[in-house]
Amino acid sequence: MEPPPDGAIPLALDRLVVRYGERVAVAGLSLTVRPGEIYGLLGSNGAGKSTTMKTVVGLLRPDEGTVRVFDHDPSGPGIEAKQLLGYVPETPLVFDALTPWEFLEFVAGVRRIPGPTASDRAQRYAEALRLTPELHQPIAVLSSGTRQKLLLLAALLHRPPLLVLDEPFHSLDPRSVRVAREMLREHVASGRGGVLLSTHTMEVAERLCDRVGILDHGRLVGEGRIDDLRAAGGGSLEGAFLRLTKEEAGVRAAVRSLGTG
Amino acid sequence: MKGAWSEAYRLQGAVFPELAYEAIYAVRQGNLPPSIPPEELAPRSRRRATQSKALVAALLALLALGASALMRPDVRGLLAPGLPPVLYETALLGALLALELTLLWWTSLQILPTFLTSPIFPALESLPIDAEVLDRTTFLLFLRLFDLPAATALIVTPVAVGAALRSPLAGLAVLPGVASVIVLAFALSLATGRFVVRNVHGSPGGRSAAVRRWAYLLLWAIPAFALYATISAGPGVLGGISALAARGPAWALVALLASYPFAFAAGPALLASGPSSVFASGVVALAAVLVAIGAYALATFGAVRWLRSNLHAIASVRSATQLLDRPPGALGTHRPSLSVVVKDLRVASRTPAYAFLILLPVLDAMAIGLWTAASAPLPADTFRIAAAAVATAALVATFFGPAFFAIELVGYSYTRVLPLRETSLLAAKVGLVAGLYLIASGTVLAITLVHLFAPIDFALFVAAELPAVVAAALAELALLSRVARRRNLPIPNLYAGSWWTAGVAIPGVVVAGAPLVLYAFATGLGPLDSVARMAVLALAELAAAAGFSLLALRPRPR
Repeated sequence: MEPPPDGAIPLALDRLVVRYGERVAVAGLSLTVRPGEIYGLLGSNGAGKSTTMKTVVGLLRPDEGTVRVFDHDPSGPGIEAKQLLGYVPETPLVFDALTPWEFLEFVAGVRRIPGPTASDRAQRYAEALRLTPELHQPIAVLSSGTRQKLLLLAALLHRPPLLVLDEPFHSLDPRSVRVAREMLREHVASGRGGVLLSTHTMEVAERLCDRVGILDHGRLVGEGRIDDLRAAGGGSLEGAFLRLTKEEAGVRAAVRSLGTG
Repeated sequence: MKGAWSEAYRLQGAVFPELAYEAIYAVRQGNLPPSIPPEELAPRSRRRATQSKALVAALLALLALGASALMRPDVRGLLAPGLPPVLYETALLGALLALELTLLWWTSLQILPTFLTSPIFPALESLPIDAEVLDRTTFLLFLRLFDLPAATALIVTPVAVGAALRSPLAGLAVLPGVASVIVLAFALSLATGRFVVRNVHGSPGGRSAAVRRWAYLLLWAIPAFALYATISAGPGVLGGISALAARGPAWALVALLASYPFAFAAGPALLASGPSSVFASGVVALAAVLVAIGAYALATFGAVRWLRSNLHAIASVRSATQLLDRPPGALGTHRPSLSVVVKDLRVASRTPAYAFLILLPVLDAMAIGLWTAASAPLPADTFRIAAAAVATAALVATFFGPAFFAIELVGYSYTRVLPLRETSLLAAKVGLVAGLYLIASGTVLAITLVHLFAPIDFALFVAAELPAVVAAALAELALLSRVARRRNLPIPNLYAGSWWTAGVAIPGVVVAGAPLVLYAFATGLGPLDSVARMAVLALAELAAAAGFSLLALRPRPR
């Protein structure tokens, strides 16, 4: 894997449109993940976060607009973009019939990582995430959190300059969340790589992200640094989120209706 | 009691679309749902599930109609001229029932992993539903997976048999036999499925565990192999019955007629013709058949009770997990295409539906080899033996291979985010098909070598056919890949994706079979000349298939 040149943009989306039949899931989304940056994509359920992530990694093809990963097209026939990214899907489904160790051998082989390097990294990450006892069990019998740790490990194995993480922490225990956060911080510390992370947990975004974009019905309704958004939301990111997605009134009404029951 | 059944019927109606969706789109195994409006997913899953059931039903109907056509007196005169009609009809009906049993057993095994690992059962258990209703819902759901095939067997078989034997009563008499094989097929598939989920799905990594898994998986291959064996051993069984009828011993003939499922077949045949002189011991033979039918009917009733009371428990079976205090060791990495091969073999070792695709050609080759070696004296023409062995190995590997190997091209979305070129993927899958062919043909020929030592002749024949096998695999995989890319449809499950699997296998079998047909027509030129012509055609096919694959895998314009 050729490292990208200094200053290269890890990810650029330009007027991205993705449809499921007649339904528009992503409606003209443009955003950029800069070198050395962790970018959080915030949104309610069904806002288009996962569709965006799947399009970024090449699982879905854009209906309109472009996706560039270090200036390569991930949905094209080439593999350059896929060499440069690591992906943790929202639902931790992989080959249930393999053990984590067998799965990592497959990933390392396809990514052409030399055996000793892959072994060393896998063992260190597995130790850090407390995954070692499960390494020889079939993935089918592992818990959702353990699968998520495995996918995080697999995504980091080739030290990709761009990490695409779809709700990466939602099944992890607090200790693993802390370790994973440190791993991501270390990952971007060189200033060359980037992370695109989707979440609907404000705390994750506040603690980890340098910038966030707020997605609503497939459109970017707000973007900026955490502090700027907090200020715009009356001191909290949650406030900014509800205001920008025009959910404040709806939330109040929902709470009121609960109170009457 | 009645309320429990109607509630169960209502529940299965609500849950079945989810089961069909899981089976057809394999989303629980990591596949992406297709890019179609969400409201179309459920109707489309139901439609595709019905299509798959219709395909199995059509096969069962064809079997029944084929057997009834073979019952015509002029056909009997050709196939078994010396055999009394009642024995001939019993043999044919027995074979038909055995085929129905193995086909239903095999197809139900294909869908069983989805059924047994479905999250719908834990979801239902968490709801305030009476245990009896839950048991019955599971029972009805399982029946619904096979309603069309089972109904077809129950209707078409009696009608076809009654028409062939010109006796509606004989047609009706076959009904208990059909009902029995359906129940037995379901019970056998569930017992096999439970054993495999318990012992194979949760099996840890490591070589000794892998060897144990493959040994268990032989169980899974039994119905498919039995299906094949029933077809290929049919003429032999007919010959054996003829010999027993002519020369005895009488007890052996009676034992055969009383065995399962021949006892159920003897009833209609006797009703159509009346006890004939073949039953020299008359009452004893008839009594043996009747006692056997009674015993099998009781066993069938027991199987129904077992199914009803255990189905829910079986559907809730989960593989055992055990934490191993074992150091991780070193990651053994290979180049990309070899990594895919190793991964596929590992997936197969814990996924019975795929494992049997690997085991079947090898088991088949062993059976042919042993049969050929046992039927001495062998013909002196080594190429004739090689042609028979290689033809079977090539056609079996070609027919079943892509169904298993297409898994990557169409399912498991995670692989699609890895930097794996389609050509590497195709090379890996084609390599596996070629490897299967070489192992299968090598096995049969190695066993034959014990009697007829002509390794160079055998090797020449195997090598001449190899490019055609590779060409067939390439063409099939490229077609599957194209279909899958367009429709985003996984084919990890033969039952769910049977249309596509059957569709691409036809051109594959034609490509693999063409050099063998050429060899058969050119034998007058001498064996070496014929093999040379065969090799030239196989190479030409390979070139054409390579070109076709490149065209089929061209990037799609946006």
